[in-house]
Amino acid sequence: MLTTSLILLPVVGALLVAVLPLPRLTTAGLAFLVALLEVALWIVAAGRFDFDDPALQLGTSREWVESLGISYTVGFYGFSLWLAGATVIVCAAAIGYALWVGRDRPRAYHALMLLLTGAVVATFAAQDLLLFYVAFEAMLIPLYVLVGVWGGARRIAATLTFVVYTMAGSLLMLASVVAYGVTQGTFSLQEPGTSANTWIFLGFAIAFAVKAPLFPLHGWLPLAYREAPVEVAAVLSAIVSKTAVYGFLVIVLPRFPEPVDDFTGLILALSAAGLVYGSLLAFRAPDLRGIVAYSSLAQMGLITLGLFALNDLGLSGAVLQSVAHALVSTTMFLLVGMVERRCGTGDLDALGGMARGRPILATVLLTAGMIALAVPGSVTFAGEFLIMTGVYAEGWGYSVVVALAIVLAAMYTLRLISAVLHVRPGPAVRDEALDLRPVELGLLLPLVACLIALSVWPALVSESAFWRGTPAAIVEEEP
Amino acid sequence: MSGPGVGWYLIVAALLFGTGALGVMLRRSPLIVLLSLEIMLNAANLTLIAFARQHGSLDGQVFALVVMGVAAAEVAIGLGLIVAMARRRLPLDVDQASALRG
Amino acid sequence: MTYGAWICLLSPLAGALAITLAGERISRRAAGWISTLTTFAAFGGALVAFGALWARDHGDRQELSTAYTWLSVGDFEVGMEILVDPLASVMMLVVSGVGGLIVWYSMGYMAGDDEERRFFAYMSLFVFSMLLLVQAGNFLLLLAGWGLVGLASYLLIGFWHHRAEAVAAAKKAFVMNAIGDATFMLAAVLLVWETGTLEYLGVFEEVGGLSDTTVTLVALGLLGGAVAKSAQVPLHTWLPDAMEGPTPVSALIHAATMVTAGVYLLVRAHPIFEAAVEVQQLAAILGAVTLLVAGVIALVQWDIKRVIAYSTMSQIGYMFLGAGIGAYGFAIFHLLTHAFFKALLFLAAGVVIHHLADEQDIRRMGGLKDELPRTHVAFLIGTLALVGIPPFAGFWSKDAILAATVESGGALGWTLFLAGLAGTVLTGAYAFRLYFAVFHGPRGEAAAAHAGHGEGPRSMLVPVGALAGLSVVGGLVSIPGVWHPFTSWVDETGEPLVEPVASLEYLVSAIAVALGLVGVWLARRAFLADRQLVTSPEAWRVLEHKLYFDELYDALFYRPAEAISAGLLHNVEEPVVERSLDEIGSGTIQAGGGVARLQSGLLRSYAVAVAVAVVVLVVVFVAVR
Repeated sequence: MLTTSLILLPVVGALLVAVLPLPRLTTAGLAFLVALLEVALWIVAAGRFDFDDPALQLGTSREWVESLGISYTVGFYGFSLWLAGATVIVCAAAIGYALWVGRDRPRAYHALMLLLTGAVVATFAAQDLLLFYVAFEAMLIPLYVLVGVWGGARRIAATLTFVVYTMAGSLLMLASVVAYGVTQGTFSLQEPGTSANTWIFLGFAIAFAVKAPLFPLHGWLPLAYREAPVEVAAVLSAIVSKTAVYGFLVIVLPRFPEPVDDFTGLILALSAAGLVYGSLLAFRAPDLRGIVAYSSLAQMGLITLGLFALNDLGLSGAVLQSVAHALVSTTMFLLVGMVERRCGTGDLDALGGMARGRPILATVLLTAGMIALAVPGSVTFAGEFLIMTGVYAEGWGYSVVVALAIVLAAMYTLRLISAVLHVRPGPAVRDEALDLRPVELGLLLPLVACLIALSVWPALVSESAFWRGTPAAIVEEEP
Repeated sequence: MSGPGVGWYLIVAALLFGTGALGVMLRRSPLIVLLSLEIMLNAANLTLIAFARQHGSLDGQVFALVVMGVAAAEVAIGLGLIVAMARRRLPLDVDQASALRG
Repeated sequence: MTYGAWICLLSPLAGALAITLAGERISRRAAGWISTLTTFAAFGGALVAFGALWARDHGDRQELSTAYTWLSVGDFEVGMEILVDPLASVMMLVVSGVGGLIVWYSMGYMAGDDEERRFFAYMSLFVFSMLLLVQAGNFLLLLAGWGLVGLASYLLIGFWHHRAEAVAAAKKAFVMNAIGDATFMLAAVLLVWETGTLEYLGVFEEVGGLSDTTVTLVALGLLGGAVAKSAQVPLHTWLPDAMEGPTPVSALIHAATMVTAGVYLLVRAHPIFEAAVEVQQLAAILGAVTLLVAGVIALVQWDIKRVIAYSTMSQIGYMFLGAGIGAYGFAIFHLLTHAFFKALLFLAAGVVIHHLADEQDIRRMGGLKDELPRTHVAFLIGTLALVGIPPFAGFWSKDAILAATVESGGALGWTLFLAGLAGTVLTGAYAFRLYFAVFHGPRGEAAAAHAGHGEGPRSMLVPVGALAGLSVVGGLVSIPGVWHPFTSWVDETGEPLVEPVASLEYLVSAIAVALGLVGVWLARRAFLADRQLVTSPEAWRVLEHKLYFDELYDALFYRPAEAISAGLLHNVEEPVVERSLDEIGSGTIQAGGGVARLQSGLLRSYAVAVAVAVVVLVVVFVAVR
């Protein structure tokens, strides 16, 4: 029941926000309240969760279309609980930020944001292929509208690209869902069964690769991340991309052992290429959002490397890194938004010198930046180390690529930090541009606090992501 | 059952259908095209009724009635269009009414 | 015992957090005191741990204390654990003791800077990170400390972030250290797969069973980290630039503690390096190369801090040399004495810089002997200790390393010995060139231009005095043939591979001191004749460009990386990935145009098409049946 409540709360909240004739501020406040309630509900769920139990927990199952073997089955495993946790926190921060900046037409905006929250949580909870597909698609509709209506100058182009890419992926996935369900006689992910069909596998894999996105299917990424409102870009890069991770974890890896075996090399190679490619482009990007966007591409490459290492270390590392990246990426995007609001631009050339007289901004940006570049001792470092160690089993070259990416990450992140904070103020930085306001700090602080807490104790996630000791069991292969 | 066998009905229906089809394909006046369409529909109706009689079921006859109803509606619209064309002094020639060319 | 160590580790962290969270609610002075006192509290904790360790039996001086599991996946576990053993206890004392003195000194040096609180928070963060580095009980935690000191170093080098040079230097330091971190991580990855653990003791037990290739690769990875952190050739170019940071930072991070972490690693992981002899020798060779390279470059520098920075590189070269030939005790001994006299030199230089209102160019200095009498004495003590004149601290430790090279013998040993001797000449020359230029001769322009701060407040003078005292007597903890409590203490962690006899040590010492004095004589002669030590203009130019390392790396790595990035952006990302959708779009439109021709708009042709299609379908169905 708890899982269903987690899904329904934001949806009901969305309806209320859309329908109730409240003033602007109250509408946004109500949405934020619902988002906070959602976080509280997740904490309750995490409290009830038994991390030692390998079975699906907090689940509900109802027949939906009996004759086709479709059911409404939801519930959490360790890793999906953590991903859902990242989701509710990130969404609360995003909605809070939207409240703070006062987005236009708040009723529609916040209803869509809450709908998005519900859809993402539903995606992470879905244990039935068709339900998964529905949630996966339901997530896209609010995104299209949010980017297309509230985006920047080139929002229409951004939306169009995004729609075309994700639609193509989704249709392939729909075909695969139907083909898989019909051949297996059930759509439930709780039933055992695997498929050796390469085409069905490719349908899923391509859909998730577009969503992540993985090199070279990331054509929608630069435009969407640049044109979307920052908090939507944050949600997009932080958690919508992680639905692909979830898809790989619960569908691709356990259901298609043979095709996975055949394609591991290709996917690893593409992930490694994407990791280096994203890092290099982040190093050249002329604006703040470009750096964060391409670094997300690189991070998703890294996470996929961990997934397709197909062993304990890689899989746990991928989950840990997913959670960490969700928090880091949100923090970075929101910071970018705050800087852009003060300066009216994200061009690196126009910024600079903001550290002087703005100690809070400097401290938060430095902290988030250092965690983003995986300074040893941080949670991202722990994740990268696990992935690096895990993927070594597939070839030492991948570990070397990860090591190279660490150096590149240092380069592009320091470039971002210095461009904003250091040397003399750029033309767009006015003296009266304020330090972070208490509200902004209040939005960022929980995110940073989560990151630091996880840095102090990354085992919290890495140990409980999969039932103890046998994460690789989901791919039915001993490490 | 009395009267000619179902085959004869089919032959008549086929002749009617062929006549109608040729009319649609060869004639240029929209009025005649519409007329030919009606003939084709009636050919189909004839087949339906013939088979209905053969199977001793009323389903086919019901279908024929529905088809007649639809045909009546269609003729009403078609004639309306033709009258509208005539009023606007457009040429009554289907070959010249090709605005939907791609 | 371990609670002392935990206090030692955590109190600077508590200090850093307190200063950060308190923000502007506390005065700048209070922030300084919090930082100083927590660092001295760490020293107290280190003393407790050291005392408890001392009281134990020989052979039992090792204790691992695990607080909780930091990272775990299945069977793979890494604990938040500290290892207290003789080596760690020495390092804890050095870091917290010297660190405390320098933080205290900073209160005077940084007074009046508008971001003092931030400075002290960073300093405390650094002390915590460094203590984590030396106390860690496994390689991953060591790596965590390793990275965090790099972070603190980045923050402190770039402390004056409005200066473009400072920011560039900070970035350079961080990125070069990231290279070292990356190779270190690769070594750790190998260890996980080959030994199943990252705990020192577990790993060292397994080392014997590893293949040669594995051990060599692991050792190379660790060496990469050590070389980057300790600014050894070829990853040394960041250290001189790092002098953009405030002087206490240079003293603490870039002289006394962080840059010697590489030496600590070589000694800590000695079983691995011993199993990979070539790599260990490579460390010694790199040390020898560095000490010569840094020595010659130091001859032509004009910036007071850069001269000392190059001398730091050079001295760490000696330590690498010592650790590389297996003289672990001597390497750590030199680390200890070097921490004293190099911190002293930097702090004394800081007094000079402070006095001259941030002037660092020695051409504008001179004749400060009378204006800063106490600083002059302190600086002279530091310089004598650096050159290795008895009985100052550097004499005992440096000559012990040189004697060990002779003892280790062979072509390599003798080559290293000769390099070390050449280094002593250079050391004497550049150290006294600096000393004469700053304190002797006519009064410099800078001194004439500024009224000067004098020798600063007590918070600056007391630490300088304490370090001066340590630089005089610090070497007496190990006297060949008399007693050697220090080296035998460290030897409990790393059994040395070479142990020179006392007579050899004294013989080598005599030669080294003589050569050092030759260097001093050269510097004095040049100074009296009012000319430079390097007279050939070509050689001068090469040295001024620091042997063109920066230019080389720029051409080899930075520019290609930039070119590749730009190339990818302009040739792949924009035309292929971003425009692919446009291509698909226009392709669809064209295809549509082609198909549209079928749409003639002729009603009758549609009818024909329908008829034909029906006929075809019927035929097909009938035929298929």
